[in-house]
Amino acid sequence: MTTNNDVKDKHVEEQPIIEVKDLKKYFPIKSGVIQRTVGHVKAVDGISFSINKGSTMGLVGESGCGKSTAGRTILRLLEKTSGNVYFKGEDVFAVNKKRLRELRPKMQIIFQDPYSSLSPRLPVGEIIGEAVRQHKIVSDAEYNDYIDDIMNNCGLMPYHKDRYPHEFSGGQRQRICIARALALNPEFIVCDEPVSALDVSIQAQIINLLMDLQEKYNLTYLFISHDLSVVEHISDTVAVMYLGNIVEYGKKEDIFSNPLHPYTEALFSAIPVPDPNYKMKRIVLSGALPSPANPPSGCKFHTRCPKRMEICSKVAPTPIEMEKDHYVVCHLYNKETENEPEVKEEENVQ
Amino acid sequence: MANNEYENKPLNTDDIDSKRVIREDFVSEDRSDALDDEARIKVLSPTMLVMKRFFRNKLAIAGLIIIASMFLFAFVGGLISPYGEDQRFYTTEEMMKDFASGSFNKEYKFDYKSDITFSSTARANFVLALNKKETTFIDGNHLSYFIDSVTENFHKISELVPVAENVMRVGDDLVFTAVNGYEITDELKDAIVSTMKESKTQLSFEGKTYVIKAQGRTSTISVASDIAIASKLVYDAYEQDTVFDYNFKLFAETAFNTEGADTFTVNDVTYRFEKDGDEFKIYKVDENGEKEYAKATNFIVSPSMQDMFLSIEFKEALKESVLAKQEKFISIDDKNEETEFKIYPKDNEYLVKNMQVTRVLKSYSPPSSIHWLGTDRNGMDILTRLMYGGRVSLIIGFIVIAIEIVIGVILGGIAGYFSGWVDNLIMRIVDIFNCIPVIPLIIILGSVMDKKKVHPTDRILWLMVIMGILGWPGIARMVRGQILSLREQEFMIAAEATGLTATRRIFRHLVPNVIPQLIVLATMGLGSIILTESTLSFLGIGVKFPYASWGNIINDVTDIHVLKNYWFVWIPAGFLILITVMGFNFIGDGLRDAFDPKMKR
Repeated sequence: MTTNNDVKDKHVEEQPIIEVKDLKKYFPIKSGVIQRTVGHVKAVDGISFSINKGSTMGLVGESGCGKSTAGRTILRLLEKTSGNVYFKGEDVFAVNKKRLRELRPKMQIIFQDPYSSLSPRLPVGEIIGEAVRQHKIVSDAEYNDYIDDIMNNCGLMPYHKDRYPHEFSGGQRQRICIARALALNPEFIVCDEPVSALDVSIQAQIINLLMDLQEKYNLTYLFISHDLSVVEHISDTVAVMYLGNIVEYGKKEDIFSNPLHPYTEALFSAIPVPDPNYKMKRIVLSGALPSPANPPSGCKFHTRCPKRMEICSKVAPTPIEMEKDHYVVCHLYNKETENEPEVKEEENVQ
Repeated sequence: MANNEYENKPLNTDDIDSKRVIREDFVSEDRSDALDDEARIKVLSPTMLVMKRFFRNKLAIAGLIIIASMFLFAFVGGLISPYGEDQRFYTTEEMMKDFASGSFNKEYKFDYKSDITFSSTARANFVLALNKKETTFIDGNHLSYFIDSVTENFHKISELVPVAENVMRVGDDLVFTAVNGYEITDELKDAIVSTMKESKTQLSFEGKTYVIKAQGRTSTISVASDIAIASKLVYDAYEQDTVFDYNFKLFAETAFNTEGADTFTVNDVTYRFEKDGDEFKIYKVDENGEKEYAKATNFIVSPSMQDMFLSIEFKEALKESVLAKQEKFISIDDKNEETEFKIYPKDNEYLVKNMQVTRVLKSYSPPSSIHWLGTDRNGMDILTRLMYGGRVSLIIGFIVIAIEIVIGVILGGIAGYFSGWVDNLIMRIVDIFNCIPVIPLIIILGSVMDKKKVHPTDRILWLMVIMGILGWPGIARMVRGQILSLREQEFMIAAEATGLTATRRIFRHLVPNVIPQLIVLATMGLGSIILTESTLSFLGIGVKFPYASWGNIINDVTDIHVLKNYWFVWIPAGFLILITVMGFNFIGDGLRDAFDPKMKR
């Protein structure tokens, strides 16, 4: 793997570029002949965070917990159910279509699947440059040089412009996706699991490319991933999501050295250690992820929590700041409930 | 070692070397070099790639060649062919045909003065009176006629004009009332009185014939004036333009029935005649001598066609043969050529037939150097019909598919892009259209057009419109399905995220991705449309005569005789339908495989 030098050189500003306040995104469940709404899938159920300009926030969680939905809702690619998203202080959901189109280039997204995220019928140069021309990012005279420059920065050669996506490998396609996002001169990029479809060596190239570009263009990332080692490598802050909620949020160093939430502990215990003599203390969570359409009452994690308490199934916990900027949403750390007895081990097994 | 660039690497150059380069790239972090595969210079767009894949498919090439040659055949062939689409060909043929008919005349022929009418009632009453042996009869207009029977077969008919009514004979005197201003002289009076004394009913006086008709105690005296003759003789002329008038016949008949006479004069022209059995041969006599003029006979010969003049020679030959009870004879026909005639007796009539040359349609003539594929029932060149039929079939195919695509893409696109209730509505319309039984509906519309007597050209247009309107649901369904799935593809979300306008998203990203399936569907659809059109034309509700279509060319085969004996009528058309549909299907299959990125190269 590469060194962390470039990470340390980032100019992180204290001013938040994106602020998410109690964002909710429910998908209606329709059934019957007249397509009546019978319930909602609570994909994102009230998340709040902010990201400072030039920093990277890692958003981790298991599959189906709402990470990608959160990422897309923040960019208003999906309409919210409630809550607010502020981009540089401007409510993303309050602007009209015209203003939204002006905002689009500033907030970009890189998708997980580099195969389906490129239109198979357009040459690469067109994929990258189409929006550049529409938004008039550069003048027509500079256009070709600009695209060449962007492609070069993303590790693509100018002659790749006339080729079509099917002629590229996964890693190259992901570079094209990055180039497409980058060409619009964005300030904030949602990286929606950008490397999980790639093999490890290419992952490293892409991660390093992203970090290089962040340094060069002072980009802000929301890095969505389920791969904790990648998140550890790239992030400044980390948020852990479980079933539509953020359960723990803090600086990367704090979270990785001192995970507080039982879910985070379980998650981190699954990171493989490249040492054959190391005996792993795996915390194996029983059961599957509950349905987001019908989430458990109280703390949503209580059905699978090894440290479950009486209160957990009744009252939803609130964020508690354990260290500076390190929040955890768990009754374990609530001083008022601290003394209540833990649930017996047998019950937990059942 | 990870080497996912492997598949994009050129295989023709040094493979090991390129792998090594990648490893070095990875270590040195020189990422731009990692993608440097400049060795592969040839760049293929998706379209080019599809073409390349398509042309590798032998069946697709075969299909393309078939369709191309079909276009040449239909569009260029029609221009090259020396014959027209509905040009009929004729041939001459010898066949037994009615020539004339002869019979012995048993009825009276009436001839009368040109300035009077002699009604059919009068003719009937004449025959009745003759049978009752009466000498007078009347007609419907209360005109009285007097019959002067010269012989059994020759009667003079006179009109009676009353000259005196209430005539009574008193001794040798006569009491009467003169009518019509007719002056009865004393000499006439005496003649009448002497006639009445002898109880006769007619008398001749000063060249006029008077008829006394008793009515109770009184009588009416009328003067008779010749107006008609009834005879059983038929006059045949030696010259075609000879006309026999009343006067000629009157004098001729009178002369025939006069003992010892052999000439008569009509209008200062003298005729001489010779009696030959029951026939009379009449010569016209003038300063140049005698000339055959006419013949009066009891044998009547009428030609099968009006305007046809039969010579006396033929008529005589026929009469002789009939009398000799011969079945055939040799004589001259209306063109003075000697031919053999056959006699077919029927009742009292004798039909005469001979071999005649006639112009007939060149139906079902087998393939020859003039008509390479022969001719059809209407005597039209089949090869030329096939060319024009191909035009109609191909044009219908393309226009129908164009209509289907326009409607299908618009409605399917709207349904797919907007989804929700619009989608629901359009898909229900599609369901309704899928429930319509196409063939019965077209049959009904076809018979409606028959009833309205729609012109064949308009009929083709209507056929295209109907087939297009009935055919779009398949395409709409496909387009809608494609757009629904494409809409959710990440590149569409990416396009939205980059802030592209909706029009750009639809026309730059959505539509190009639907086109491959559309092309495949359209190509496959063309084959089935041509089949449907052929079926409809075969059933007689599609393209109508005189326009050719492969379907209505095969229509001839509804006759089992044609099916068995004239293979050249239906095999070529069937073969053309077969290979054209097959060609379109091959191309469609080839395109589908070529568009399918998962296909092996």
